Amino acid sequence: MDSLEALERYKDIVPDFGVFVKVQSSPLHASVRINTLKIGRPRLLLRLDKAGVKYRALEWYPLGLRLGPSERPGKTAEHALGYIHVQEVLSMVPPLILDPKPGEAILDMCSSPGSKTSQIAQAMENRGLLVANEPSTIRLKPLRFNCERLGITNVAVTRYDGQSFPDYTFDRVLVDVPCSSEGTARKDLKVLLRSGRKRSLNLQSLQVRLLKRALMLTHPGGTVVYSTCTYAPEENEAVVNEVLDLARLEKFSLLGLQSSQGLTEWNGETYSKDLKLCARYYPHQNDTGGFFVAKLIRL
Amino acid sequence: MSPSSSGSEAGSSSRARSGPKARFEIEDRSQVVSLWSERFGIPEEAFSGYSFYRMAQNIWAFRGPPLPRMSFETVGLRIISLKDKLWKPTTSAIQVFGVTATKNVVSLGEREAREFLAGETLEVSADVEPGYVVVRSGDDILGCGLYSRGRLISQVPKDRRLGVEAGDIRCS
Repeated sequence: MDSLEALERYKDIVPDFGVFVKVQSSPLHASVRINTLKIGRPRLLLRLDKAGVKYRALEWYPLGLRLGPSERPGKTAEHALGYIHVQEVLSMVPPLILDPKPGEAILDMCSSPGSKTSQIAQAMENRGLLVANEPSTIRLKPLRFNCERLGITNVAVTRYDGQSFPDYTFDRVLVDVPCSSEGTARKDLKVLLRSGRKRSLNLQSLQVRLLKRALMLTHPGGTVVYSTCTYAPEENEAVVNEVLDLARLEKFSLLGLQSSQGLTEWNGETYSKDLKLCARYYPHQNDTGGFFVAKLIRL
Repeated sequence: MSPSSSGSEAGSSSRARSGPKARFEIEDRSQVVSLWSERFGIPEEAFSGYSFYRMAQNIWAFRGPPLPRMSFETVGLRIISLKDKLWKPTTSAIQVFGVTATKNVVSLGEREAREFLAGETLEVSADVEPGYVVVRSGDDILGCGLYSRGRLISQVPKDRRLGVEAGDIRCS
């Protein structure tokens, strides 16, 4: 189990560390989001009941459903028709914290495959400007595929390097940056083989530049949500700490979803006390993957 | 680029100038709307709030404000592809706008619906004109079919067909 060694450096920051390590080897069950742009929740649940699908709605987000261990939602008619989208439970958190409203101008800076993008479109009721940016040509295809299948009509896809995204003023921006993805280990443990402080430090400067650009594109008082699916403080608190001259952190929580507060020191470095307002989500706390989320208000 | 040199310091008045961009051009509204109304009886109101754009051989429906000056890959939903002067409605568009169709609609039973979604050609007799049709089953709008002499050919794109599991990995 070499891959798990990469997690050893988190021994002092993760509560119940032994359980945290152990859960990495237990695979996640599928979860889906109901796409209210195409179907109402009651009608969708009725269909699942009729088909004998085992599910449990999330306490903190009724449109999110955890499915039973043998369910293969990607192969159902509901998926083909765009009534549901297969999405990891914690991936539903950043759009909820972003809290987009119909008619607003929103940017999703690192958009593919479009899970969070489509959740944002759904919250906007398909009204307003939703710019989905994805610099990688190869990753445009799944993004476009999902937006079409889910019936999104207010999304405009761009292919800029997020660091030099053209001037515009958005109400809210989601920056779900490229990261070391340690939080996806329950899907594939191999992701941990590449992770470590060195890799995280390599990603950090890009992450800081993306977050800074996102803040520059947001009007004062507007919201920027920064998220990763990694535990590495180098890619999380250390990045957010760099932009506190442009924004202030805001507290948030989702009732029924456990989280740990952000760190204020790591590896001999100290960060602003405000970083406690960020949320760390560990897989053994809610039976999920792992995520980090920060909510920033542009100054 | 250096983030500090990016300009655009605050102020909601600093929204970039809006207008049509180079590749996507505004398409005449009445023409697009009448295509859908003539073929499927879909009322004009179904498209209220939408603007239409054209790029190459495709027409797109977008339910947002005038576009900012940026370079776009897609704008809203691709609703029509034009080939040899013929227009073909996309399955995505049929699923969104087909709910109000009153003619050239083929209704399928549950088993046939699954076959249609799987991309199969079905033998059905329907009181429709030859050509593209809205295919539905109960409350479900399944997509675009091509009807000709008792044969309904599924136009559901290959990667959207039933049983094809799309890759959706990464953090999501």
